[in-house]
Amino acid sequence: MSEFAIQISNLKKSYKNVHALNGVNVNISDGEFFGLLGPNGAGKTTTINILTGLVFKDSGNCLVFGKDTVVDYRETRSKIGIAAQELSLDWFFSIEKLLYFQAGYYGINRIDAKSKIDELLNKLGLEKKKDSKLRQLSGGMKRRFQIAKALVHDPDILILDEPTAGVDVELRHELWNYLRELHSKGKTILLTTHYIEEAELLCENVSIIDEGKILKEGSPKQLTEELGRSGVTVQLSKNTNINDLKISSLDQEYTVEDSRVHFSVKNPELAIPKIIQELSSKDIAIYSIKTETSSLEDVFLNLTGKSINE
Amino acid sequence: MINWVGLYTLTSREVGRFFSVYRQTVIPGLISSVLYILIFGFTLEQRISEIQGISYTMFILPGLIMMNTLTNASSNTSSSMLQMKLLQQLPDLLTAPLSGFEIALAYIIGGTVRGMVNGVLVLIIGVVLIDLPVHDIAGTFLFIFLVSWAFSSMGLVMGQIAESWDQLAMIQNFFLTPLSFLGGVFYSINMLPSWAQSLSFLNPIYYMINGIRYTILEKSDSPVSTSLWMAILLTILFTSLALIMMQSGKRIKQ
Repeated sequence: MSEFAIQISNLKKSYKNVHALNGVNVNISDGEFFGLLGPNGAGKTTTINILTGLVFKDSGNCLVFGKDTVVDYRETRSKIGIAAQELSLDWFFSIEKLLYFQAGYYGINRIDAKSKIDELLNKLGLEKKKDSKLRQLSGGMKRRFQIAKALVHDPDILILDEPTAGVDVELRHELWNYLRELHSKGKTILLTTHYIEEAELLCENVSIIDEGKILKEGSPKQLTEELGRSGVTVQLSKNTNINDLKISSLDQEYTVEDSRVHFSVKNPELAIPKIIQELSSKDIAIYSIKTETSSLEDVFLNLTGKSINE
Repeated sequence: MINWVGLYTLTSREVGRFFSVYRQTVIPGLISSVLYILIFGFTLEQRISEIQGISYTMFILPGLIMMNTLTNASSNTSSSMLQMKLLQQLPDLLTAPLSGFEIALAYIIGGTVRGMVNGVLVLIIGVVLIDLPVHDIAGTFLFIFLVSWAFSSMGLVMGQIAESWDQLAMIQNFFLTPLSFLGGVFYSINMLPSWAQSLSFLNPIYYMINGIRYTILEKSDSPVSTSLWMAILLTILFTSLALIMMQSGKRIKQ
């Protein structure tokens, strides 16, 4: 079996004259928690829709555990569970029945599906509503049902398209905890999001996508260190003679303004002790220290010149 | 390799779907058939002479069975497919390890069951209310089955093409209903001028109605073998079209 759960190479897709994907490359290792981060319309949903068989690609390849998603679609789709961004509706059946149908589509009969469905209804707080129809559920419950539906065949890979869009803060944190739990049990998770916090908190690696192209890939920490704008600002006491200030032993760039010194550093946590030590050794009195931590938002801004939520 | 559990699951979903709303999917056809029998049987029949030696109510009943069968079979698949599209349910099927062939087959079977249930119930009503003599029961069932299957497949083609309820209603109102009425449900084509008779021969539903009329009453405007071949031909044509279209995914994927 391939070490990669998902390999997407040079994926291209156009709608009439719009280039939705311009050669997307993504590699996701088995067991990885991966985020596809980008603004609305960047190409996130198109990428996963091609991966899961909802959209035809123009060119390129998608492999799931080394198998082509078009040629070996039965095998690759069995390994994927997907919670789509758009909530589906059903007028006819209870949510429990819908979960049995979903399991059936994946070749799992009622008897074999029962324990998993009971477990998911219980785990996602839907047990009391199992006889309800989808339209009788609240928005949050519908979202939880969608995750249950994605997990009903116990897939190795879970794909979540904007799972917390339009979800209240409490449920968002519940879902995050559940996703962490699933990841700790070995599931590979591919998450698309335009929430910076979500990507930073959950993902081991992210790809930043905009206008159908992957702009940068790496762990949130690597990316913010490389492309972020974090820094340490030291406020000195008023009577410090700024002109005499020479902090040559420090490897960081710094700027001085009145009695404030700002160091541009990649990692403020590592830099603070060095800065304090250096300033103390020169008998410079420190009034206060403030760190500014960079986020993936800064990285996105740096790469594209625009905000992710623009 | 066929995903049998998947095929069975989707088929039972399709059958369960229309049974769960039987007030919309089974009862209306029965009520309108009973109304036809009551209105023609108790009021108009005395003023309308027999056709081919058969009382008028009895003459129209095979046509009513056929009309009920084909309308229900086609609307089951077409509305279910369109509903799946509009309610965002289709991705559940398209991302599952089901082939287009399996999805299409499950839909067609679902529509066929609804067509047959409706056709057979009208047949039973005819037998119970007006002592409809069924000359060849196996032949009657064969026609009901073939027409259910053919029009269920046709409905699936319509459902894949349509993007709104309006478009579906248009096909139903401007195509299926007129062809059914002009197919000789209420008259023998011998009663028509010759140009209208020639036009009737182009209407596939004419053969379906006359085929089942022969199996029930032994009366038909065309040889029963012609009707049977037309039914088989339509079944093959629409089934192939529905399967090829679903397998290609062109109308349901981007």
